[in-house]
Amino acid sequence: MSELFDQFVVEAQELLETAGGALLALEHDPADRASVDELFRAFHTLKGASGLFDMAAFTRLVHAGEDTLSLLRDGRRSMTPELADRLSRALDQCARWVAALEDSGALPADAAQAAETLVRGLSGVSAEGAAGGGEAAGEADAFPWAAALAGEDREAAGVAAAGGVLTAIDYGPDPDCFFTGDDPLALFRRVPDLRWLRIEPAEPLPPLAQMDPYRCLLRFRALSGAAVEAVTPAFRSVPDQVRIGSVKLAPVAVPPPAKPIAMAAPGSLAAAMLEEQARILDLPGSAAERGSRSAAVARAVAAILTALGRPADRAVVTAACGDAGTLRRFLADGPPENSPPEMPVVAEARPASPRRALRVEPERMDALMALVGELSVVKGQLGPLVRRVGDGELTRDMKAFSARLDSLVGDLRHAALRLRLLPLARVFDPLPRLVRDTARRLDKTVELVLDGAETEADKDILDVLGEPLLHLVRNAIDHGIEAPERRAALGKPPGGTLRVHAFQDKGGVVVEVSDDGAGIDPAAMRKAAVAKGLLAPDAAAALGDDDAVRLVFAPGFSTAGSVSDLSGRGVGMDAVRAAVERAGGRVEIASTPGSGTRVRLSLPLTLSITRVVVVEAAGSVYGIPVAVVGGVQRVPRTEIRGVKRAESVVLRDRVVPLVRLRRLLGQPADDGHGQGGGHGRGAGGGADCVVLVELSDGPVAVAVDDVGERADVVLRPMTGVLRGLRGYAGTALLGDGRLILVLDLRELL
Amino acid sequence: MPIRYDADLARFEAACTVEDALPLAEWLEATAAPRVDLSACMDLHTALLQLLLAARPTMTAGPEDAFLARWVGPALGVPPSPGGKPA
Repeated sequence: MSELFDQFVVEAQELLETAGGALLALEHDPADRASVDELFRAFHTLKGASGLFDMAAFTRLVHAGEDTLSLLRDGRRSMTPELADRLSRALDQCARWVAALEDSGALPADAAQAAETLVRGLSGVSAEGAAGGGEAAGEADAFPWAAALAGEDREAAGVAAAGGVLTAIDYGPDPDCFFTGDDPLALFRRVPDLRWLRIEPAEPLPPLAQMDPYRCLLRFRALSGAAVEAVTPAFRSVPDQVRIGSVKLAPVAVPPPAKPIAMAAPGSLAAAMLEEQARILDLPGSAAERGSRSAAVARAVAAILTALGRPADRAVVTAACGDAGTLRRFLADGPPENSPPEMPVVAEARPASPRRALRVEPERMDALMALVGELSVVKGQLGPLVRRVGDGELTRDMKAFSARLDSLVGDLRHAALRLRLLPLARVFDPLPRLVRDTARRLDKTVELVLDGAETEADKDILDVLGEPLLHLVRNAIDHGIEAPERRAALGKPPGGTLRVHAFQDKGGVVVEVSDDGAGIDPAAMRKAAVAKGLLAPDAAAALGDDDAVRLVFAPGFSTAGSVSDLSGRGVGMDAVRAAVERAGGRVEIASTPGSGTRVRLSLPLTLSITRVVVVEAAGSVYGIPVAVVGGVQRVPRTEIRGVKRAESVVLRDRVVPLVRLRRLLGQPADDGHGQGGGHGRGAGGGADCVVLVELSDGPVAVAVDDVGERADVVLRPMTGVLRGLRGYAGTALLGDGRLILVLDLRELL
Repeated sequence: MPIRYDADLARFEAACTVEDALPLAEWLEATAAPRVDLSACMDLHTALLQLLLAARPTMTAGPEDAFLARWVGPALGVPPSPGGKPA
């Protein structure tokens, strides 16, 4: 059972994602039939799947969504922004519920109430839509439940063989109707030729102790053989609570054989679930709908059979799920000896086998990564050993063996790393919705261009990236892109363009958010910085334009004249920077007043492996994360200018302050003899090895004794009494087994 | 009195109205394994029906009234009377 439930959660998430995408597409182009169909299918499948579990509120909500979509599909209702809002609110609610189901296995306590509110919103829309044509005869879709009646019910209603026109009654009594003397059930006594009546709770019934006996909680649906005019008088007293219309029901195509299901104990839950699957196959729909339904049913049946300890071959199950009759026979007889005649047709109609997600506990991944890390270290010690063996045939073989081991360990490490990689689509997915909502609220027109969603990064990085990205996008729409009138006055197209572009870059992943909005005015930034007391007037005046623009990342800075509810209160950009830098990344901003702003987030590919530049100072080895390293270079001593103890150097046409790692670490200064330095030092002490470090407040040149190789290391945070030590990101083992301290230069400087 | 309570058995008789709702709710809640006999019930108010649907007491006998037997009995878990079609 729990396997089935897990599968439902995964499937529901996928379906909700699909539905969200379809809804956006639909709003963009209301005539998009494919999206309507897709949305309908998603709601429909969710309804069927959720019906297997005890989650009435969920089922009720998606059912209402399905009803609404079916009106939309038949052109009885057109897509409006309001309707899109309501549908997307319903999808959001479902997503929250699925998250709750994943966490706790149950819907939150207020689910019924939440569903009720949303359903009312949706059905308000549907009722409005139905009002125009509800009186017209022959429109079964105003009563989708009537069209969906299963075989037995149809038989009871007397339409099993011939089909026919019936009058459908959908009666949702006012909850307070008992006080006005109504007895809803009694009204049906007056319905002529009542063929079928279903009484069901309009919302899940509360426990008896909390039930108000004077509140009507039931809903009634019925079919009558009499004409609409003959039925209507029975409901004269409640015209506002009832819908009456005629429906044409198709005859039942395949009267299901009443064989018991042999695969499961009669009357068991599993038997009921299997029967429900067969019923789903009976539902009417287009070929595409039936196709996706039979795929979903095949999955469910396979899962139920596995749970029963009777796993069946997937292909056989799939073939059996072509139609209800075949499935019932399959379940009654067990797997067939030879293929039933309809099998080839069914097999052709089947889409490619569905993708199944494998979920692994993060701790197991971490354990695997740690093992791979240690394996690399141990392997690294093999090389020196082999060299010690000396020359000879044995050595040659061992070298070849060592080389093979090398490449295998490398592959293993790569594969293990890739396990944690996910496409950025994950963090891109919420953006279309966010842009749409935000733009709508601000009365702006914004087109979102997403690019590079297939770029991959570690799940941890994606988690880090999500929040800042939302913030940047919100910010760009709120503060960057101008209102349409203003854009028109400036000669720009009235709709703004927001571009989010992701790509892979030297061992990391880069996401750029750019807009074609107003840009940031450096002069305004300087003025604001002075006004807020962040900078003295002369310091502000001395700032270059780029540095002035970078002030948006200063804590507590906001340039917007008014604080909007969207982008917060000026803590946003600061938070973006902090989050990205905590993950070992970097934020850059470039802006041209009048034509737009571009913010660039660079993040490492993964958090579990850090790429470092190995440096030496005073005989010890340290690592500097590559993410902050802008370059490594040898600088002649004569080019280092000293003002008292403060030194600086010109690198790439910039004056960069220079610090010495020895001094930072409290080690004795290098006396120029290269004692503590390595073999790599230039002769005569004529040059210094300098690592150019790009920090958010600007570049810093760090002078070190020597620069070694770049290495991928598994960073272990400081623990125990060392945890309080500032300036170190952690320790790591190098491939040759040496332990290094990885520096956190932001802290150290 | 339309509903006669006899320890754990409630007998519904003639027309059972909304006035019976509160006493029925209290009885259903207070009784550990309630049983219900609808055989003599000629009319069942919606308020009573939804209480029975919520509490799901054991049905010792279904209603003989044709309308109730056909449309309400099955919803309460009573096998349809001989007059009704088997489900």
